[in-house]
Amino acid sequence: MAQEQSPLMESVRTTISGFTSYRLRTGQLSFILHRLAGLGTLLFLTAHILDTSTVYFFPQLYTHAINLYRTTPMMLLEIVLVFCVIYHGVNGARIALFDLFSPKWWRSGPQEKTALITLAIAIVLWLPAAFWMGRNIVIYNF
Amino acid sequence: MAELAEQIKIPPRSDTEAIAWKWMRYSGLLLIPLAWGHVALQDVLVGVHSIDLDYVAMRWASLGWRVYDFLLLAFAFAHGVNGLRQVIHDFIPSDKVMKKISWALLGFWLVFSIIGAVTIIGGVRRP
Repeated sequence: MAQEQSPLMESVRTTISGFTSYRLRTGQLSFILHRLAGLGTLLFLTAHILDTSTVYFFPQLYTHAINLYRTTPMMLLEIVLVFCVIYHGVNGARIALFDLFSPKWWRSGPQEKTALITLAIAIVLWLPAAFWMGRNIVIYNF
Repeated sequence: MAELAEQIKIPPRSDTEAIAWKWMRYSGLLLIPLAWGHVALQDVLVGVHSIDLDYVAMRWASLGWRVYDFLLLAFAFAHGVNGLRQVIHDFIPSDKVMKKISWALLGFWLVFSIIGAVTIIGGVRRP
């Protein structure tokens, strides 16, 4: 017997079963990574607007906020954040340029190849930044 | 294959969605230099251990950096909240519910944008 399902639950179920039943090929992986990177960056940006707003609204609180960002776990998250910003940018450029100027590149073949190139470029750009930020953690926190 | 490419080229039908679709792409391209420049400077080169009230005050003493930060706030946050709306849309089949969520997101965007804008214009207040 079919269970009574609200449209919302139905949709959430379809989305989740879609994630698990797909074979996680490059296109789907870059789609998921792009979204997670974007949402993660937005989460930080929201917090960042609030912490920076203390310089005007509650200046004495700004030091507390900055001290929080200086802890090792937050600095490690900062390195993850930088990867999110770089990957979302490189892959976003691929999406924007293909959509706006050359949609024929979305066909199977170039799509997968460029998804991997995108990831490679992001990692190459991220590594020096990650090294430098990791160096800062060692210098300041240990 | 050519047919598929032709189909992909057609933007979403509704006018506001078409604008939102273009907005994500054009603002995204602009955010690459804006956001990367900000991250490279503040997170990597300067670093969080060198950032304090004095540093923010020094930076915002220059009008150029205030304009830069204002553009970054305007483009990044609107791009981000619209992106969140698009992600949520994939999970919400009901137009009625989605409409309510969209209005809530618009309010969220407006409040945080105002907080950010007031901060950049007002600058550092000494405790």
